[in-house]
Amino acid sequence: MPAAAASTIGIANLPNQRHRIVSRKGANFTIMVLGESGLGKTTFVNTLFTTLLRDYKRPEHRFQKQLERTVQIDVVRAEIEEKGFNVRLTVIDTPGFGDYVNNQDCWVPVVEFLDEQHQNYMAHEQRAQRQEKDDLRVHVCLYFIQPTGHTLKPLDIEVMKQLGSRVNLIPIIAKADTITPGDLAIFKDRVRDCISTHNIAVYSPPVQSDDEENTRRNQSILSAMPFSVISSENDVVVNGEKVRGRQYLWGIAEVENEAHCDFKKLRNLLIRTHMHDLIVSTEEAHYENFRMEKMSAEGRSDDDPAMRARRGLEGKMKEEEEALRKRFTEQVRMEENRFRQWEQRLIAERDRLNRDLEAQHKQVKTLEEELDELTVSRRK
Amino acid sequence: MPPSSKSADGLARTAMLATTIRRKNIKKGLAFSVMIVGSTGLGKSTFINTLCESPVFPKKDCGSPEKAALEKTVAITPVTVEMEEDGIKLSLTIVDTPGFGDNINNEGNFLDILHYIERQYDDILAEESRIKRNPKFYDNRVHALLYFIAPTGHSLRELDIEFMRRLGARANIIPVIAKADSMNPTELAAFKRRVMEDIAYYKIPIYNFPYDDEEDDDETIEENNELRALLPFSVVGSEDEVVLNGRRMRCRQYPWGLVEVDNSRHCDFSKLRYMLLSSHLQDLKEITHDFLYEQYRTEKLSKEGEDEDDELVDEDDRTEHRRQQELAGAEVAAQ
Repeated sequence: MPAAAASTIGIANLPNQRHRIVSRKGANFTIMVLGESGLGKTTFVNTLFTTLLRDYKRPEHRFQKQLERTVQIDVVRAEIEEKGFNVRLTVIDTPGFGDYVNNQDCWVPVVEFLDEQHQNYMAHEQRAQRQEKDDLRVHVCLYFIQPTGHTLKPLDIEVMKQLGSRVNLIPIIAKADTITPGDLAIFKDRVRDCISTHNIAVYSPPVQSDDEENTRRNQSILSAMPFSVISSENDVVVNGEKVRGRQYLWGIAEVENEAHCDFKKLRNLLIRTHMHDLIVSTEEAHYENFRMEKMSAEGRSDDDPAMRARRGLEGKMKEEEEALRKRFTEQVRMEENRFRQWEQRLIAERDRLNRDLEAQHKQVKTLEEELDELTVSRRK
Repeated sequence: MPPSSKSADGLARTAMLATTIRRKNIKKGLAFSVMIVGSTGLGKSTFINTLCESPVFPKKDCGSPEKAALEKTVAITPVTVEMEEDGIKLSLTIVDTPGFGDNINNEGNFLDILHYIERQYDDILAEESRIKRNPKFYDNRVHALLYFIAPTGHSLRELDIEFMRRLGARANIIPVIAKADSMNPTELAAFKRRVMEDIAYYKIPIYNFPYDDEEDDDETIEENNELRALLPFSVVGSEDEVVLNGRRMRCRQYPWGLVEVDNSRHCDFSKLRYMLLSSHLQDLKEITHDFLYEQYRTEKLSKEGEDEDDELVDEDDRTEHRRQQELAGAEVAAQ
């Protein structure tokens, strides 16, 4: 029977082969966490991978940091293994983002970093020898939103706009144990409204799949965005079971309880079901986008129009500075001249007066002498 | 006369005086003004509604999503509420400051609030200098400023430090940790400690329950020490009520439990309320009048004095000018 014969060739085994190839090669996954200080980013990363990946901020160092007002890019690498599958994980943190009084342009270091990774990859690709690339292209960026209960802030909107077009962006409502379920639903609606009004491109996972169950799961994931998250590395005992959670005086908020927060859904999305899609969409869609823009802008200098504009402005500023300085020195010189002339005039005046005085003095002397002579001659 | 009976006599007289003042206050009612400052979404309006036990500020209407991206200025909104506290009529003016800390660049926010506070002082200054003063003049000075700190769990942010530093000299700042139900007791204690360390490090002037070793009695001293140890006050606000065991309680309902606003183990709200509206109300008013207002007055008047010095400089210029003219005249005459 030809049908049975075809199945014995081994075509059906191809997916298994691919599975074995992929598991041996492992995966390279880069995740970036972005948001203001104190929203639980470090705890989230540690909870997600159930290991202490990042150290917490040391409170003793805070006085030093507050003087500098910079946004840093911190890269942490780890190799994680589960059931024989290796993941070369890179976590990128951005301490200092949104922490200051004036946060203008605080997203620029982040955007530049993202573009730089694409740029490096492109440059590497075009080399004669291209082996092991140190690929730091960010596959997913988790943006942490403050659980205000109102709506997105201007900073959130601006940053997400800039990032959405460059990387897979997933907005997250942080510290979701601060907000009651009713308020949370309203807040999610408002955030979604904001996102659609401002045309922010957030990551939307592909919903349709062959599996009925998968489709349903994808739909539930999609409807839960933005994900509300509670993180904790501490275990607490609930009903005799050890779970991850936060222990309060009034109860325990559990990390993996779907009624408490969307952590499980997010974890599934990031690791279990959509990691491959995140990696592929970064390497294909976003990278291609970037490449296209770069190639079409070939012929000009290497930089972004934004950078060029800024440099142009800087040049103009320097020119203006020069002009001002020249004018200033000019004026100073003129004033000095004026003073010098005045001084000379005064000296000339003084000399003249002195001479007059001398002349008069001489006259007086001659007159005196004459007088003397006259008196002497009269006496004679 | 033996000292003990003299002091006993003195105490009795003071007690009588206190009762008379209290009776007068009950009739006249007290006026008190509190300003609330903090970033959006920290629960300020909810706190005010919880404090006054009535919806003074309506739930935030966020407006359309397009407006969310716009930069706003601080909209200083004073509202007066008549309340009765401990049998005394209280006319409480609450000044809300929506828009603070919302923008990408928040440097202008401090001045907005500072100018409001200084304008109230200016009004009093002008009134005091009048020949015919109005006895019913309404004292609108801000007596207490509650600054809401976001519960990051780390330490103070730059915005917090800068604001409290600049306004500490003009108003009694009482730092408050907002949304305290996001931290468990250990985290809360550590956070409070770090905030107080920051306040000490940056030398931020706050209202720290001062007492006079000689004047006040032991009870007051102990009370002040207790309250000072609680700083910054952790606060949870809610307008929703739940009936539990037959009692109506204000609380926040989570899937994992119930946070009670008035339970002092859950948060410091009730202690803050008592301190603000009963026990330390008079003290806050006095410090505002005797110390902060006087300081502002001195600074303002001595600045005006400096402006007078400028006139002397003008005079020098004038004599200079005259000398030059004479010189020029002499030159012409000599030629």
